Amino acid sequence: MTVAAIMPRSPWRGGLAWRVIQSVVWSLVITGILILMAGKNPLVAYQHIVLGAFGSWDRVIVGLNKAAPYMLAGVGVALCFRGNVANMGSEGQIAMGGLAASIVALIGAGALGALVLPAAIVAGIFGGAAWAAIAAAINLWRGVHEVLVTLMMNFIAWLIVAEFLHGPLGEMDAGFPQTPMFDNAAWLPKLVARTDLHIGIVLAVLAAIAAHGVLWHTVIGFRWRLAGASDRASHYAGVSRARSVLGLMITSGVLSGIAGSIEVLGVHYRLIEGFSLGFGFNAIAIALLATLKPLWVIPAALFFAFLETGALSMQRQIGIPSSLVLVIQGLSLIFVLCAVGRGGRKV
Amino acid sequence: MTALLEMRGISKAYGSVQANAGIDLTVTAGSIIGLLGENGSGKSTLMKILFGMLRPDQGAIIFKDAELAPGSPRESLRAGIGMIHQHFTLVNAMTVADNVMLALGDAGFWLDRNGVAERITQLSRSYGLGLDPDTVVENLPLGARQRVEIVKALMRGADLLVLDEPTSILSPPEIEGLIGVMRKLKADGRAIIFITHKLGEVLSVCDEVVVLRDGKVSGRTPVAGATRQGLAHMMVGRTLAEPPQRASRAPGPERLVARNLSARDSAGLARLQDASFSLRGGEVLALAGIDGNGQQELCDTLAGLFPALAGTILLDGTDVTGWSSKTRLTAGLAYIPADRSGTSLVQSMSIADNLALRDVAQEPFSRFGWLDAAGARTLVEQRTRQFGVRMAGSDAAIGTLSGGNQQKVVLAREIGREPGVLIAFQPTWGLDPGATRFVVDTILALRDRGGAVLYISSELDEVLSVGDRIGVICEGRIAGITDRADVDIVRLGLLMAGAQSQAAAA
Amino acid sequence: MDAALTIDFLSATVRIATPILLAAMGGILIERAGTFAVGLEGMMLSGAFFGVVGAYLSGSIVMGLLAACFGGMLFGAIVAVATTRFDTEHMVTGLAANLLALGFTSFALRTIVGRGQAPVIHIPLLQPLPIPFLADIPVIGTLLFRQPPLTYLAFVAVAAIAVFLRRTRGGLLLTASGENPLAVFAAGTDPIRTRFVALLGGGVLAGLAGAVLSLQQIGTFTDGMTGGRGYMALAAVIVGRWLPLGTLAGCLMFGATEALQLRVQAFNLPVSSYVIQMVPYLAALLVLASLGRTARMPAAIGQPFRRD
Repeated sequence: MTVAAIMPRSPWRGGLAWRVIQSVVWSLVITGILILMAGKNPLVAYQHIVLGAFGSWDRVIVGLNKAAPYMLAGVGVALCFRGNVANMGSEGQIAMGGLAASIVALIGAGALGALVLPAAIVAGIFGGAAWAAIAAAINLWRGVHEVLVTLMMNFIAWLIVAEFLHGPLGEMDAGFPQTPMFDNAAWLPKLVARTDLHIGIVLAVLAAIAAHGVLWHTVIGFRWRLAGASDRASHYAGVSRARSVLGLMITSGVLSGIAGSIEVLGVHYRLIEGFSLGFGFNAIAIALLATLKPLWVIPAALFFAFLETGALSMQRQIGIPSSLVLVIQGLSLIFVLCAVGRGGRKV
Repeated sequence: MTALLEMRGISKAYGSVQANAGIDLTVTAGSIIGLLGENGSGKSTLMKILFGMLRPDQGAIIFKDAELAPGSPRESLRAGIGMIHQHFTLVNAMTVADNVMLALGDAGFWLDRNGVAERITQLSRSYGLGLDPDTVVENLPLGARQRVEIVKALMRGADLLVLDEPTSILSPPEIEGLIGVMRKLKADGRAIIFITHKLGEVLSVCDEVVVLRDGKVSGRTPVAGATRQGLAHMMVGRTLAEPPQRASRAPGPERLVARNLSARDSAGLARLQDASFSLRGGEVLALAGIDGNGQQELCDTLAGLFPALAGTILLDGTDVTGWSSKTRLTAGLAYIPADRSGTSLVQSMSIADNLALRDVAQEPFSRFGWLDAAGARTLVEQRTRQFGVRMAGSDAAIGTLSGGNQQKVVLAREIGREPGVLIAFQPTWGLDPGATRFVVDTILALRDRGGAVLYISSELDEVLSVGDRIGVICEGRIAGITDRADVDIVRLGLLMAGAQSQAAAA
Repeated sequence: MDAALTIDFLSATVRIATPILLAAMGGILIERAGTFAVGLEGMMLSGAFFGVVGAYLSGSIVMGLLAACFGGMLFGAIVAVATTRFDTEHMVTGLAANLLALGFTSFALRTIVGRGQAPVIHIPLLQPLPIPFLADIPVIGTLLFRQPPLTYLAFVAVAAIAVFLRRTRGGLLLTASGENPLAVFAAGTDPIRTRFVALLGGGVLAGLAGAVLSLQQIGTFTDGMTGGRGYMALAAVIVGRWLPLGTLAGCLMFGATEALQLRVQAFNLPVSSYVIQMVPYLAALLVLASLGRTARMPAAIGQPFRRD
């Protein structure tokens, strides 16, 4: 008697988008039940989430700013998974990107003048890309599974950032591990003047569109898709897996590096401890929720971000803990994975 | 002596194909029966029925004077039938003893490793298996791993052992060793069914030979007094199929030459040994051979997908031995692999994408790295029309097409480029007669236009009807290439069955 | 070096290593059977939570321990159903389970136990149980035989799992399921069911590992209190080559580096504490890289088994 024999047949029907939506709905239902068990009204809770997310322009801006790094990193992860590269390292790549951008922002402030901002972003790109490339090299050269390498390097990256914060970069008498605030020249420009909305969201959407374009309209994208679909056919077609892995990891590292940069350059204007905590894993969840389609990462990232901002507000207003959001996110992800099945990666 | 095993009137059909038709087989204890036949003759179906993995449509199996319940591997095992498959079910990371314990499946929470190890050593000594129970299977050569499978069967109390093509993965000295083991088992009163396609082995170790062809018993003879010719005739004897019309033409220049190609697989076994041939424009060189005799390695090495250990490959006079598959493709060497669904095509990608698979970096599929869907579309439409692909639209996933149509896409890609040389490996495998006809006609048309074709198939009929020159690949060597007019069927059969090999002398 | 300081350091090593060790033992069962044990973190956190809540609501620490077992097993079951019934990819399923555990425990603590806020829970810690006679041996006695019960359990678990894997039929089937499920099937057992059971058993151990934190060391539950120890346990399993003794060594190494990091001033080391914390991860990477392609991962890990 196997487990499979006693489980019901798959309850999912319909095309992929419909299945994803069903998964999210189910997660909302089950979370609603949990809220009921806590003695509160789930509909009221959800209403507050929506209000909290969209209630005012200020709220919307917070959500958009939050969605930007999620979207960037999510696109990178989606590309990797499509090419059959299990890159779990966006946490670390974001952290290193932010670190590199911060270093340039602090050191280059006077010397580079107005160029300090683009220089910082470029540094962030290099930071993320290099961190990803190291992981790819260890994977390709020594055959260590990419999941293990990237997971370990996440921890190392976090510690490197902490080392810098408690050491050379740290602000002397702040009660909190952080660097001094960056010079104005290094601040990420605003999309709408006199608001908090920075251009990160535009970069993110452009990145998603560009990734879609590369994936579906270029030779490199074709090769990535081929590498992700079939090793044997790739070999037959003369496509080198090593080159695909390296290309994908570096691309993902670049995107994560930008994500880290816009966090430090556009939101905090300094490097603070834990600035990137959870972003990487969220990016993986978002990429999977988007079933690895770069364009679908846009709504998925927005969903995650607004869910989070809405929940924080809900917590303030009616006292339901914002950790609810993690439950919704976790359940959505598990249900989407089950709806897609078959290894989850090859969609 | 009463028979240990009697299979009476076994019949089994798969759809319209009659895999087994009224087969009778008798095996007495203390004897070795050779079961001979080429691919598709029905050997594996018959043995799967014996072992309970398949149910026969008709017929009965009497084992040790009792009717054996069909369709149950557990029943067959319990009765005392042990099968040594071609593909081992061993856990490479565990020791011999652990693997045997896993297979023993008896109750008992605690493992009796010492007891089992001792029994293994005993059996190993009795039958000359040379196994140390504490060796990790991964460190054993393939021949030894096979003997672990034998020990597993023996320890489950097998009185009848079925060995399915056991020598295909063994080196000559290992074959000697296995034959020695078989003789000892026979002396001990056990019975063995030895499935093979190699005449030399049959003659040296079997007491009786049963030959299957097209699902029926085509001949039965005691080994004493049997000749290779006789056996080969029983195996492949047939009248030559009506050859398709062909204009007689003088063969063109040498297009593809292979000289002394040697290659080893990942386990270090030699797969190609001094394989040589010369292929001219405007002809089809068709090679017959039982699966697993080096065909895959030959094709992959010629196409540049597998490294040759030694030897040379000349394409239009140029030494391309070190060239990548892409450069060989550009130089005009096309390749239709045997694995249609996993290698030639990507099932999840569109028809258009599959057509572009090997040429995506070139015009008209792309320009400066950017995919050119419009430019590609014209070519895709032209090709799919030219090769008669029946499809709804070129953007549909190729997995939605029938097998025949999928192969037409492969043809459209590989023949559509008008290659100078085409390697076709089992191009009609799994296709219905109509699609098969189409594929063969298309390939012959390429030949008529001056192309050089290397055609490899395990279907002897196909080889005989397609080839202008016909040869045999066996144990990594190519032999017996003759013009179509001079073909001697029996000689082909002998070569396919390894009559040239140095298997154990009688 | 001062003797008292050394003993204190070794003591701390054992204490810090204990939860990682229990979780890693669960990880060995899960991974050897063929599933990537990325979800250990979530199973541990769930165990920590249920342990505290169980003890708090029932007033009995034994109920708390049972609840911790349940908590760990719950998340083991979630991963099991997803990967065996729905064929999901193991690693992201583990990540999703961790995410879910983080949210669920935090939410449930505040709503189902507290009233919208984190309740103030203090559970009396499990006290050290000195073993008569053995506890009086100098040095070793204090180190090994004056430990709280779950620590003893952790070390017993190492021995028990080693014996289980090596000497019982169940252990043989479990190992084979992760190496070649076809061989298990040919031997008459369902390898998928074996993987499922392994996930449940591993979940129980990981849940108890969480209880080490919440019931034995800290006495309450705080959000995300496992702090990545589940991933450390996974790393320890891999560095220990999926063997109980090797994994024990890996866990002790993790424990030692963290104990060292906390005592950096006392030991007067010129290295920053963050660099020291990096050591276990760098060491893990180094070991993996040097093993390279020969790293003996269970051969069929992560691969679904199709019976046809």
